[in-house]
Amino acid sequence: MYLTRKQEKVLMGEEGPAKARALEIIVRVGESLGADRLVSIRHAHVSGISYLNIGEPGLKLLEELADTGGRAEVYTTVNPSCIDLSGESLIIDNSVADKQLRINKALEKMGFHPTYTCIPYLYRPPSISEALAWGESNAVVMANSYYGARTNREGGPLALAAALTGYTYHAGLQLIENRTARVKVRVGFEPGEGDYGLIGLWLGENIEDIPVLEFPKPPSYYGLKLLFAASAATGSHGLIVVEDITPRNTYRVEVEDRVTLEKSMLEKYQYKPGRGESILGYLGCPHLHPGELYQLAGMIDSYERVRSGNALLLSIPLDYYYTMKGEIAILRRRGVDIAFGTCPIVSRLRGEYDVVLTNSGKAWFYLQKLHGFKVAIASPREIVEAVMEK
Amino acid sequence: MGIIIPVKVIVDGDCLGEVLLVDRRISFYGEVDPVNGVIRGVNESVKGKALIFRGGRGSTVGSYIIYGLKYYGNSPSCMIVSDAEPIIITGAVLADTPLFVALDYDELVSLVKGKPGGLHARHKRGEKHVELEEK
Repeated sequence: MYLTRKQEKVLMGEEGPAKARALEIIVRVGESLGADRLVSIRHAHVSGISYLNIGEPGLKLLEELADTGGRAEVYTTVNPSCIDLSGESLIIDNSVADKQLRINKALEKMGFHPTYTCIPYLYRPPSISEALAWGESNAVVMANSYYGARTNREGGPLALAAALTGYTYHAGLQLIENRTARVKVRVGFEPGEGDYGLIGLWLGENIEDIPVLEFPKPPSYYGLKLLFAASAATGSHGLIVVEDITPRNTYRVEVEDRVTLEKSMLEKYQYKPGRGESILGYLGCPHLHPGELYQLAGMIDSYERVRSGNALLLSIPLDYYYTMKGEIAILRRRGVDIAFGTCPIVSRLRGEYDVVLTNSGKAWFYLQKLHGFKVAIASPREIVEAVMEK
Repeated sequence: MGIIIPVKVIVDGDCLGEVLLVDRRISFYGEVDPVNGVIRGVNESVKGKALIFRGGRGSTVGSYIIYGLKYYGNSPSCMIVSDAEPIIITGAVLADTPLFVALDYDELVSLVKGKPGGLHARHKRGEKHVELEEK
């Protein structure tokens, strides 16, 4: 691999041991993937920071990097951690708060922005064709497909190394020739709000190549957010081209296969909760956009409270605690449980419910897999109606 | 003189250890306990061994587990794989554990299986091969 003199010097340790080790990771991984050189990135997003996932080894490593001079070389955001940072959620189990807060302290010491969210594009929307190194698969697909930026699906440690060096390897989705859609998927029906997550699940499970999606009418931003997250959970997509949405010249199309997706093909993911079952309603996977939270607060305003035996959990970025006080007050007054800077996929939950009702295909997939919940998909309106009373 | 196994060096360093063959892909996250170094289903510690396995799979948290093996003093002496993917490479760099890709992995496996008495592996920094010797 070609390295500049400056990069060689970093590798030799001239800018400290943490940066040298981080660059070595990128060079070695890049070489194995056939990269000819490195590219400078504008934004790193570090996933894999939940103590429940990375445990003691992850904690020690992050502390060691922070203590040996590891510092963000570019704008860096971080994924949700495993605790509710408001400390007020009754559903998120905060019992490992001491350990998680040590991780958070190390991340912040390295100069990473304490976003604790899986929607980093909210904090710095990517520009067309700019290079990024993002972990967190839902954000990766959003960056490539909606914003037309370039990032591979980096693992947490690699995104960390990219943050500390400002580089990633020049391979995979960083190259236009690897951004070629080969399967045309025509969505044969007009999706309702609850359908986007289902379409994403189907796409991830059934289409391996980069797809190009054609909708009967332009899909909504919030709908695509759910679709991308779900397909990245069940599949390995980094880019999903959407006609009239994905910026031109950030992808190529050479269609070899065509599929039409009918609504009947999504039935296997659907389940209607029975009468008398206790329901945990869940919205916020990926974290709610401010617009989504605003809409939801408006909808919930006309309800009295969460029905006893049920619960409604929302997961959102930490800073809404300060920026959306009004909406949060409305929701809390009605018994809605709000978790800041975390989500049920990376944390432990308290309380028992017969079924989880969510609009998220990604949550559908992981809450079954990781926590053994029975999970069904519905639109936000259906969820609110199921768990609240007037 | 032992048997010479040609390798591609991914992370260089000296290696001297008893060969432990786990002929499959390993998800370090979930399958390896860094505190005692044991691989689930194999029930043997990787500590000090020349660990031969097909490659990595699963969660990228696996890189932290390879680092964790070092933290708890249970690092293998080196890792020899069929193909090196980002999880294993990242872990090897973080833990400073030598990592080699066997140019003919299948032959290496049949060779190890043909020596039930066990083998030692040796590699010196800068070399392009691993040398195997019967115990």
